[in-house]
Amino acid sequence: MTEVETRPAPRRNGVRDLVRPDRVHGSVYTDPEVFELELERIYRQGWVFVAHESEVPEPGDYVTRRIGREPMIVSRGRDGKVHVLANRCAHRGNRLCNAERGNSTTFRCPYHGWTFKNDGALVAVPMRTGYSEEFLARRSELGLAPAPRVDEYGGFVFASLSPDGISLREHLGRATGAIDRLLALSPTGGLDLRAGWMKHRHFSNWKMVIENNVDGYHALFTHQSVYEAVREAKVSHVPSKVEVYVRDLGDGHSEIDYLPEYSRLDEEFVWFGRAPREKLPRYVAAMEEAHGPEDTHKAFVVGPPHTMIFPNLFLAEMNIMFVEPLAPGETIAYTTPALIPGMDELNTRMLRRTEGAMGPAGFLIADDGEIGARNQLGLAARSPEWLMLARGATTDVHEDSGTVNHDKSSETPQRGLWQHWASVLDAPEGVNR
Amino acid sequence: MTSATETGSVRTGAVGIDPAIESFLYLEARLADEARYSEWEALWDDDGLYWVPMSPDADPNTDLSYVYDNRRRIRSRVAQLNTGSRHSQTPPSMMRRLLTNLELLDRDDDTVTVGSNFVLYEYRYDMSVWAGRVIHRVRTTDPERGPRLVAKTVHLVNAGAPLPTMAFLL
Repeated sequence: MTEVETRPAPRRNGVRDLVRPDRVHGSVYTDPEVFELELERIYRQGWVFVAHESEVPEPGDYVTRRIGREPMIVSRGRDGKVHVLANRCAHRGNRLCNAERGNSTTFRCPYHGWTFKNDGALVAVPMRTGYSEEFLARRSELGLAPAPRVDEYGGFVFASLSPDGISLREHLGRATGAIDRLLALSPTGGLDLRAGWMKHRHFSNWKMVIENNVDGYHALFTHQSVYEAVREAKVSHVPSKVEVYVRDLGDGHSEIDYLPEYSRLDEEFVWFGRAPREKLPRYVAAMEEAHGPEDTHKAFVVGPPHTMIFPNLFLAEMNIMFVEPLAPGETIAYTTPALIPGMDELNTRMLRRTEGAMGPAGFLIADDGEIGARNQLGLAARSPEWLMLARGATTDVHEDSGTVNHDKSSETPQRGLWQHWASVLDAPEGVNR
Repeated sequence: MTSATETGSVRTGAVGIDPAIESFLYLEARLADEARYSEWEALWDDDGLYWVPMSPDADPNTDLSYVYDNRRRIRSRVAQLNTGSRHSQTPPSMMRRLLTNLELLDRDDDTVTVGSNFVLYEYRYDMSVWAGRVIHRVRTTDPERGPRLVAKTVHLVNAGAPLPTMAFLL
């Protein structure tokens, strides 16, 4: 169980000074005050991914999540709407729902029996004679606290714990294109994220984890053992040999874009172990039925996105990952495959691919976890003060699609992420980004 | 075949389990502990399956697992560990595990299935303790090759929790 502590309100002065165009100050990964400020400004006031609609398909279905440190219930009410509610009994603060997922029309607190509908409304207070009429008249105000703002895009449900701020569409900006790109691989436009979330504890700062997700520089070194012993990379990691781009999409979102290289090859499923169509007959047929042969071919060539949606959602090609910051040096990464509804032949392969690459024993991510932990250990040394993000800074190109670099090892994504981070943390009081 | 009582009482207390099988399980544990990857791999039969589920009642056809290695992927896992640049096991964790409460769960013409509990002490940056139940299925029909591992399933006690990196052989 995670201990929850109350700490004094964080200071905001000087955050801007921690980020420069080509470098970032080491304390952004280690300073508890910075961490508190992030929880407040990014995870309480901003938009955060909480769940996918496919996780709660039927009325009564729920999953439990956290936004920052705060326990939440994501449920589907009888009205068919997805609700995001504080997982805290309105009476004495008990954490109400203690399962990871399930189906229930009500949540009953075992402490004194207060009962809430899965849309948050208080429906029963036992032994009501002990309460005054005035109190009982105000019962409707004693429901579970809903997240003030909830919205979705392409089935991905986001919430904000602040009533004011930019819309989800404004927050997502160009990143909606990445979600569209993923959904283009589904005959129905839907996904199924119910295979279970692999939970991996990283002993590094959450931003180190998300930066690494869009770092096109590290693979040759961090993942050398995979390419040496298991299989070659899907396309070369040597920048001069491929047309793989990196892109700062703006608003903190960023990606590694394999599209130019895949399009150049004009080969299907390079991103899926180069599986031939014959291995996936039902999926191919369903795609052609839904999208026609031309768009299907295009989707199979182009493949899924490799896009980090600020602050916590990573579209990791055919995996979905989200991160949860626990402490300055501790983060949980949750990963599940982006299954395509009803496509068993494809989905079984997808499960095996996710297990191979991701999570605490994965051929890739186990090593990212180790390198991240050593990063946090190294940062205990306070000199030099700055971490360098200068790679490719002079060759970035500004396009309609964002700030692009044609060398995938450029640190363009991280530069974009940090500029946005600083603008969110440094925004004037009352301005939510 | 001797009766369960005879075998168990004389040798080890692990009722009904052939001492050669029991020794094989301890060997498997020790090779994993000592990062003797290729020797460990040699214990596996050609249809081996190494499985670490995320929950006790998981179905690997529909549920994601931490590890679901067929024989080919077992070979890849070992090959990766053998590179010396599998950073999450470079250097290998120092490990010792206790395998205990052995029970014979099943026996057919070809294989025996043994269930046991384990506690694994891993020292890397700090001491970590891993614990769980392990089910070994061992093929016994080829006297020349000796016992061969067909399936190893590891149910971690904390499979439902966020797990630290575990790139070693469980």
